[in-house]
Amino acid sequence: MEIKIQDHEGVKIIALSGDIDMYTSPEVRKQLLRLIGQRVPIIMVDLTNVTYIDSSAIATFVEGLKGMMSYSGRLKFFGIPMKLMEIFNFSKLDKVFDMYGSMEDALEG
Amino acid sequence: MITVPSHPKYLSFVRAATVMMGVQNKVDNTVIEHMEHAVDEACSNVIKHAYAGDPDNQIWVTLRVSPEAFEVIIEDSGLKADVASIKGRDLDDIRPGGLGVHLIKRACDVVEFDEKKKKGNRLRLVKYLKVKHGNKDTRP
Repeated sequence: MEIKIQDHEGVKIIALSGDIDMYTSPEVRKQLLRLIGQRVPIIMVDLTNVTYIDSSAIATFVEGLKGMMSYSGRLKFFGIPMKLMEIFNFSKLDKVFDMYGSMEDALEG
Repeated sequence: MITVPSHPKYLSFVRAATVMMGVQNKVDNTVIEHMEHAVDEACSNVIKHAYAGDPDNQIWVTLRVSPEAFEVIIEDSGLKADVASIKGRDLDDIRPGGLGVHLIKRACDVVEFDEKKKKGNRLRLVKYLKVKHGNKDTRP
């Protein structure tokens, strides 16, 4: 799993790749919570190259969402592969997460 | 049977073995994906709960596919699971945690702990496969 963080005019973009599971999600959580600790107003998570997520990854994203809600920040997701979308739908997170097809859509949304 | 250390870095190995077992036996892709999640979540639970995060133990995983079922048995020598207390969160209650149990139950027709096992846990996961009418498949 790899994590790359870019700044796009104040918007932080976390690009993840590979499998996010019990082994790798702690690092995702660490990076996400670090940005939330800085009260970054908008964080976008690029899931385009993510091949697998488990319940610990979902828990990390939910924790991130709740953390950002505490200061009215926005957590957005884009580039969600079908295999991952199925998990988002099953866990009913499609109802609470801001999800977009592309980075451009997410920046505008 | 495959044996892996109780370290989270080996979860990807167990997932790959589960997927390969399904692919080699021409199991439906959705069933394979769901079983991949179920086995992953069950092994994660072993690491977290049965071994309390200690990576120096072992997990034994047995994978079988017959024309009737995809069966996985996961064994450990850790703390006994409190079966009565195992339940996922209400899916409408959006909060971290509690999803793994749902992913296991979604995938499997049978989820049962062997209560006769004296030390550790033996979890049996079974997904019954739809046998097509007139299918002369001779899979083992």
